[in-house]
Amino acid sequence: MPGRECEEALDRLFEYIDDELPQDELRRIGDHLKTCPPCEAEHKIKEKIKNLTARTGGDTAPEELRERILASIRSAREGV
Amino acid sequence: MTDAQLDFETEALSYMDQLFAAALRMTRHRSDAEDLVQETYAKAFAAQDKFKPGTNLKAWLYRIQTNAFINTYRKKQRQPKLSDAEQVEDWQIAAAAEHTSSGLASAEQEALDTIGDDEVKQALAELPDDFRMAVYLSDVEGFAYKEIAEIMDTPVGTVMSRLHRGRKLLREKLREYAAERGVYDKRPTAPKDSGEVCHARKGV
Repeated sequence: MPGRECEEALDRLFEYIDDELPQDELRRIGDHLKTCPPCEAEHKIKEKIKNLTARTGGDTAPEELRERILASIRSAREGV
Repeated sequence: MTDAQLDFETEALSYMDQLFAAALRMTRHRSDAEDLVQETYAKAFAAQDKFKPGTNLKAWLYRIQTNAFINTYRKKQRQPKLSDAEQVEDWQIAAAAEHTSSGLASAEQEALDTIGDDEVKQALAELPDDFRMAVYLSDVEGFAYKEIAEIMDTPVGTVMSRLHRGRKLLREKLREYAAERGVYDKRPTAPKDSGEVCHARKGV
């Protein structure tokens, strides 16, 4: 198997997991990952880390901040 | 108030939780995050007539918030801006070193399964601002590279570089945390001719 495929897959893994590749490249790299365990292992690790960081959002704005912002919008409108 | 103004206000306010969560990751302090979101909305409503209806309001708000963060809070926190030298596009070369033996890769995968949300937040907090923002905007908010480029006012190539570098650092930190807890053995990378290494890397 030509090593160029591994090189391309490894260079494009972030674009692959971020869904930033055109369809043909997406398919080519996807096919390669199915047949190359070391590249697939690297793919899995990168995907796991992306999923871990994806969970770090989700904080909700405190109610008093919401009220403060609404009050300042209202007073700005009244001032116009 | 016109219908258009009302639509703008309703949609803009619907992003408050997301903007606050992002502000918390950016500033790393609750009170700074609250001030940053308030500043973002003040600026957004003052510039409302500059927003083109039908374009991406969420990205527009993130851009205002990112600018406000850079101009106000980064100065306050005295964190130096990344130098141009640090943005050299050498991540493609670094990709070669990422291929480890299958044994090490599965040990790392298992270690990652033990990582908690607080450890990820801690690791993110330790990244340089520009890296942290790029990773957050991509992984948490799901913005496309092109949108992140607009939000951070930088070329797409720089976004990709920041993502590569940020994620690499993040991975190193998560490995360290797992090693500290004794669930990951930080052995040196297997030699390239071990036979377990991907065939592509032989002789590279």
